Amino acid sequence: MAKYGWLLDAKRCIECRACESACKQWNGVETGINVRYRRVNVSESGKYPNVKTQALSMACNHCENPWCIKACPVKAIWRRDDGVVLIDRDRCVGCTMCAQLCPYGAPQFNIEVRKMEKCTMCVDRIDAGLQPACATLCPTGALKWGKWDDIQNKGAAQVPGFANPNQTKPNIRFVVSGWGK
Amino acid sequence: MGLTRRDWLQWTGGAAAGVMAAGGLQAAFEEHFQAATPAAAGEQTLITSCGICSPSCGIKATVKDGAIRFLEGLEGDLSGNGHLCGKGAAGAAFTYDPDRLKYPMKRTNPKKGLDEDPGWVRISWDEALDTIAAKIKDAITRYGQESLLFVTLPSPDVWMRFMNAIGVINRIDHIDECFLTDRIIQRYTTGGKTWCNDFENSKYIVLFGWDILAKAKLVYANGIVDARDNGAKIVCFNPQYSATARFADEWYPIKPGTDLAVALAMIQVLLSENLYNKEFVDAYTNFKDYETKIREHFAAYTPEWAEQESEVPADVIRRIAREFAANGPAIVPAHKKTLCANYANGSQLVHAISILNILAGTIDRPGGRYFPRSVNIPGVDNIYPPPAYPPKQGRRIDGKEKLPFVLEDGGGMFSTLTDGILNRYPGMIKFAFFNFYTALGFPNPPQMFEALKTIPFLAVMDIIPTDTANFADIVLPHVTYLEANDLVARDYKAKYPQVVVRQALIPPMFETKSIAYVGLELGKRLAPDYFKTPAGEFINLNTLLDEKTKRSGLGGSFAEFKAVGIYENKQPFTPRTTFATAGGSGKCQIYVPQFAEKGADPLPVWRPKRDLPSPEYPYYYLTFIPAVHRRNTTENNAILHEMFPTNSAIISTALAAKLGIKEGQTVRIRSRVGAIELPAHLTETIRPDAVMVAHGFGHRSKFLTKAGGLGARDGDVIPAQTIDELVKAGNFAGAACIMDAVVNIEPL
Repeated sequence: MAKYGWLLDAKRCIECRACESACKQWNGVETGINVRYRRVNVSESGKYPNVKTQALSMACNHCENPWCIKACPVKAIWRRDDGVVLIDRDRCVGCTMCAQLCPYGAPQFNIEVRKMEKCTMCVDRIDAGLQPACATLCPTGALKWGKWDDIQNKGAAQVPGFANPNQTKPNIRFVVSGWGK
Repeated sequence: MGLTRRDWLQWTGGAAAGVMAAGGLQAAFEEHFQAATPAAAGEQTLITSCGICSPSCGIKATVKDGAIRFLEGLEGDLSGNGHLCGKGAAGAAFTYDPDRLKYPMKRTNPKKGLDEDPGWVRISWDEALDTIAAKIKDAITRYGQESLLFVTLPSPDVWMRFMNAIGVINRIDHIDECFLTDRIIQRYTTGGKTWCNDFENSKYIVLFGWDILAKAKLVYANGIVDARDNGAKIVCFNPQYSATARFADEWYPIKPGTDLAVALAMIQVLLSENLYNKEFVDAYTNFKDYETKIREHFAAYTPEWAEQESEVPADVIRRIAREFAANGPAIVPAHKKTLCANYANGSQLVHAISILNILAGTIDRPGGRYFPRSVNIPGVDNIYPPPAYPPKQGRRIDGKEKLPFVLEDGGGMFSTLTDGILNRYPGMIKFAFFNFYTALGFPNPPQMFEALKTIPFLAVMDIIPTDTANFADIVLPHVTYLEANDLVARDYKAKYPQVVVRQALIPPMFETKSIAYVGLELGKRLAPDYFKTPAGEFINLNTLLDEKTKRSGLGGSFAEFKAVGIYENKQPFTPRTTFATAGGSGKCQIYVPQFAEKGADPLPVWRPKRDLPSPEYPYYYLTFIPAVHRRNTTENNAILHEMFPTNSAIISTALAAKLGIKEGQTVRIRSRVGAIELPAHLTETIRPDAVMVAHGFGHRSKFLTKAGGLGARDGDVIPAQTIDELVKAGNFAGAACIMDAVVNIEPL
């Protein structure tokens, strides 16, 4: 059972992408090869002028049933006791099978070292008693992180544009009602 | 080296501590900067201020082993409310950009052009400063002060003193593309910069093109989010469904350049139905003195009339005006280059907006626009009063003398500069100094490149080798804000005074220096009497900062204050009962007699935007600044570049279908002054008669290894202006008319 998860309130997102920058900076993620553990994806629906947009800040959802682990032929992906899913890059052979199965595009191929990498939920920060970098920086409370016990019954399991959660049981919930106070 | 990546790998499950190249900024740091970083062991948490945009959000920085490790928001800071935006969080990537200018350099190739290799040769600071000083002296001696052009903001104070000391008349900045109209109108209508918007206490917010959420300015974005939390209603007029529009209850894709019509009609409703805040208006404004004039003036601007101009239905305008009056406190923000205020009718629009706020009775009241309660940090002229400055003599390259209110304000004029250099006074400018500005920021950059070629000597100070640096005879490397010391008083959100320190997280890298240093050193060479303390010694920048700290009551020294990092005085907010409007009436001015005295509109009159769609140019041309970029200065930041590397022509699916344009297809956008080619991006979020292009792209400097060569310059299709065009358009507060272009679009 996962200990931690994400709570996303998309309507609060101003698309500033502090979550993305914070992630890159804290985790020292290579720049210039388009490896971005977290991304804000903006989608639109409806026809002008009855149009709506939605910004979803997405990273690894550290699923309860991680298909990436199943996909990995060399057992390079593993799950900590607290549910954080990690890639052991000593074992990783860069076959990209995990990326092909993940419904959320979380594992990404680092072409420089020819290995996969992805969001670690900033385990170093979690273990030091801090929040992940992305949730720490989010100015509007659109992206929150916390104990899964506190999150799992909030909001909805899915919003349009998000893959069927019954597949991998991602540890993320979406605030969908009210003005998400 | 002991850098972060290794620690991080160890954390990542232990098993991952294999051999791996350091990534991201750490790689840049190790490869390009470590040698320039004095060894400093251990981890520190330091307070500083962001320097990307002017609200300067407070930063809590982690510095480890001499390297900037992580930037996050500073709790209790008024500007960022404890957070940073995507730009702020990526700040270290400016400091650790391998493309940075590192040393003073001079060009060895006398031929200037975007594609010419300057043939840079490293020189000493002394040689650079001696050369620049000699060039200035020679230009003044032979051609007078009017031959000097300084393209720079009027800060910092020591740099400004240098320009004053040598009698610079032609100082130019980008403010006419930004808040110039607002600043001038505020001076006469409310009395000072009401840049603070008390959104969190507003109940009704009307946004004319105001799209600062989409620019991720946290100082305002946080307030809008709070307003939603507190149940405010938000109405948004914008040709495009922006990130801000998403936060609105109602969005109207107004016809570009017609916000003024809707604002005038709202005033008409408030006056004709007597819905204004009578208590405030009677006590604190000049309404009574001009009531008949005012009522007569607005009578014709009915919602029915405004509908014809703006395409916003008359009943909607009438309802919004009534709600605005009934459901306050209500606010209409203005400020900054947005889709409303940078049309030729920007002066009138900002005046109309100011009147709406006055009629709502929320000037300096809860839920309205208020004056910042700032700490007044003394400048060098207070601390070491200078001898009398020489008079500013000569001709103005920007023609500002024809716009008395702009002249009085001192801001601008980017939009008329190239016309001045090339057409009004060709050959007049003999020496130019560009400080942290590049040609991309001007309307019609190709015209600016031509203008640069006509200037015999150009010095450029910047952080990165911009396109403009490519034309320089000498380039000077500037520190990033993370390597600089200063005191930053909050004045974008300041119900009570607060100051946050800006301190060097690391010492300046390589031979980078501040513009204040350049001002002081050039001053010593050219006007030494202006750079001495009463004791007769040359001003020392560190001592000056200590003096500022002491005299502001922040601490005994800068070192003492930076250890604390933040000062505040949570005094209660007392609304103003007298207003410092120019002219001295002590009241807010709806009718501005001073405008009438100098031939400007004393009340906002309807004027169309400058360029209207025509058979040849049928589409409106809009530009915007993406949330992850700031002007044209951030595109080479490794993190931000990766998120938003280039621009596209954003057009509606309906227009694309009509023109036969597919997603990603290259299109040519052509105006009366130029053309750009870029890929189309199709969307449902924009009016079908408009195209929108992100500003900041199209850098061509090959020394910018990330941003160089990517994207199109939005400005290439934006006409620069002549001063006479501005005057003729009634554009008395000098809007640069960035949004006034109309274009043709064709698929390629």
